[in-house]
Amino acid sequence: MNKDIQVSISQKDDVSILQIKGDVTAITGESIEEAYQKVTTTGAKKMLFYFDQDGYINSGGIAILIGIASESRKNEQRMRITGLSPHFQKIFNMVGLTKYTEIFPTEELALKDF
Amino acid sequence: MMADNKVELHIPSVIGYEKIAMECAASTAKKMGFTEDRIEDLKTAVGEACLNAIEHGNKLDTSMKVGVTLTVEESKLQVSVKDQGKGINQIPTPHIENKVAGKDKPRGWGIFLIKSLVNEVFFEQSPEGGNVTKMIIYLEK
Repeated sequence: MNKDIQVSISQKDDVSILQIKGDVTAITGESIEEAYQKVTTTGAKKMLFYFDQDGYINSGGIAILIGIASESRKNEQRMRITGLSPHFQKIFNMVGLTKYTEIFPTEELALKDF
Repeated sequence: MMADNKVELHIPSVIGYEKIAMECAASTAKKMGFTEDRIEDLKTAVGEACLNAIEHGNKLDTSMKVGVTLTVEESKLQVSVKDQGKGINQIPTPHIENKVAGKDKPRGWGIFLIKSLVNEVFFEQSPEGGNVTKMIIYLEK
């Protein structure tokens, strides 16, 4: 386990919530990929990625999330995102990740009508 | 080290140390009066330039350093990131559609982010060897 990140999985109705605390980088991204694979093997079709407002996300971490977005399309899963700081919401928009995921300001709104 | 309007630091070619350069740039920008959102932009740009220097320039060789120089001027902050490597190949502009479709590798966003987040950026070769990424961010008044 990487000490710069903690990924926990929980379930709310039919949505798998991946709570990500810490940095999202090429190194820590392995923990996110593992959590993604874990929920996928249980048949998850709806996933909420709940990021840490104070976390550091770099281009390596963005690449990991693009990889997951790619996998989720093949697996016919839907991805939603919450917890991002305004800066990283802008970055996700810039790189185009928002074409494949939706960003919500709160967990409550992300879970609504998912 | 600080001389007149310059702050210089050297970080090892180890992933994670880019955060020290990011914090240093953020503190300098804050002192100059940059807004919080521009400081966040600068932090990401500096982090990505340092990561490129560590990974692609110095190829994670721990005997090599990455030099970061912050030059404070009245209306702008310039950050130069220098490695000791032989040269970085230019990376084409990334397209998420190709990456999500699996046609291109998911990585390769660093230069795109730097270009998107600072006002001016120059990629140069240092006369004494190594790559230099020079980024300029302007104070909006």
